[in-house]
Amino acid sequence: MAEAPHAPPRRARLELLVRREDEGDGFELRQIGSGVAFVQSRPQRVAASSFELAEVASKVDGQHSFILKNTATDRFLLLSGPERFLWEQMDGRTSLQDIATAYVLRYGEFDFEIIPHLIRKLQRAQLLTMAPTSRLRQALARNRRQPVAKMAESALFALERVNISSRNVQPFFRGIYRWGGFLLFTRAAVVVCALLAVVGFAAGVRLWPDAERVVSGFGKSPLMAVISVKLLFLLTVGAHQLVHGLALIHYGRRVREFGFTFLHGFVPTFYVDVTDIFMGSRKARVVTAVSGALVHLVLGSVWLLVALRAPMGSFLQAFAAASGIIQWQAFVVALYPFCFIEMDGYHVLVDVLGIPTLKHDAIGYVGGLLRGRRPRRFTRETALFVGYVVVSTLSVAAFIAFNVWLIVHAT
Amino acid sequence: MGTSADTHVFLRSVRLFRNIEGPELGILADSLRERALKRGQVLLREGDSGDEMFLVRSGSLVISKAVTGRVEQVLARVGPGDFFGEMALFDRSPRSATISADNDAVLLVLDRAALAKLTEVSPRAAAAFFESLVLIFIERLRASGDLVAEVTRWGLEATGLDVETR
Repeated sequence: MAEAPHAPPRRARLELLVRREDEGDGFELRQIGSGVAFVQSRPQRVAASSFELAEVASKVDGQHSFILKNTATDRFLLLSGPERFLWEQMDGRTSLQDIATAYVLRYGEFDFEIIPHLIRKLQRAQLLTMAPTSRLRQALARNRRQPVAKMAESALFALERVNISSRNVQPFFRGIYRWGGFLLFTRAAVVVCALLAVVGFAAGVRLWPDAERVVSGFGKSPLMAVISVKLLFLLTVGAHQLVHGLALIHYGRRVREFGFTFLHGFVPTFYVDVTDIFMGSRKARVVTAVSGALVHLVLGSVWLLVALRAPMGSFLQAFAAASGIIQWQAFVVALYPFCFIEMDGYHVLVDVLGIPTLKHDAIGYVGGLLRGRRPRRFTRETALFVGYVVVSTLSVAAFIAFNVWLIVHAT
Repeated sequence: MGTSADTHVFLRSVRLFRNIEGPELGILADSLRERALKRGQVLLREGDSGDEMFLVRSGSLVISKAVTGRVEQVLARVGPGDFFGEMALFDRSPRSATISADNDAVLLVLDRAALAKLTEVSPRAAAAFFESLVLIFIERLRASGDLVAEVTRWGLEATGLDVETR
């Protein structure tokens, strides 16, 4: 059938035959698209604290080589001048397409192999992550000719560039730790946390039968109230990140960066660079991951206690109850590893399992099965992949259903 | 296993033999031998030697060329009535691609001796065979050109090279 005159061009596809390992003549056929995601992905080199780059002296004029060291894994890579140029472009904000263009402008030619080759090399050395652009961004890019889409894309791009951060935060975190932050990492803090969790849960249970009267305190503008609760919650994300940073200090590691940005261009969030903890013990990594989430447990309990004490049906009670639920929800989401989001609990899980690319591998494996690819030999790893995707899918569905129910109930 | 009569009937439906008369087709049918393949089985590998061509009687096969490691590019799929392997029949060079059964398949094997016999017995039938072969070659050549263009486009899209505006 002929294509419509204005239809977007069909993306090229390659059909590949992939032989299976250890299975004699077995093979799979895979249709590989031209990699829209690949083109629009933004390779992100690891934080500056995780690598060192040094020029190698050469006796040949005009030939410059560079040694790139992953300080977390002690792996070394030899980079050519052009590869070093590409490495510098891989800042997580520049798409592969733009990097390729920059390369052409710089060197006046384009080597089709250099970028994929370098990416493979960097990924093997754990020096790179690939952050695909969201589907929303892809849709906006496709409709760039429409003014509204162009404006939305520009706005997202501008927001994405908002990054208020500091790399000189070690003294700040050290100061907080010295002036009381260390108390968070004592046995007493653990006991207090557990007690608050129990008391907060009891408060929630006592409030539950009167839920309708509690939320009636929002009055005639429940939606605005919910939004204000969410905004207040955003500030507590800052506290969450702060505690991650304090955990680093506790274990004698360095906090390289702390800041605020818009994730994917529209999700406001605080962040802290905790990569130095990879040089610490597994216990240190687990404590660092879990401690931040405990902020939400504590705050949620406190809010629920406030709600219990507040006058029945008052705005304060409704606000406190909603804040408590959101905080506890954040606690669960942060620590629950099965939700397709790489949060604290996920990092603990992959650390324990020793599969750093669990989500990616699991989605790829199950996606292949759903597309009719014949399963590989059933192993513990493939069972893990299937289990991860099934539990995560069910969890996300349950999470969405719960929130819809909450909003419907509140309004 | 099909009988010679079955093979004869099958050959009549194959485009390659469409212009060959009944008696000559019978001679050809008698000289073909059958070969069965299980799903996933490799019939021949790129680089192998051989001087036979194959007709697909049933099932489907994948023609692929090594790209890297365990990965091969699929050049074509062939099904009932299609043929492949004819290049080695003429130039004796190593196989240019690997053939794997996508499903259980039954093939008919035509070797150099059988073709020589046909040429000797009926030059007219042989000429009809070669004419059909050339026409199909031309189609395949065009398809190869399309595949090269598709692969080039894929490469351009996958690397993000904006050729039009640079």
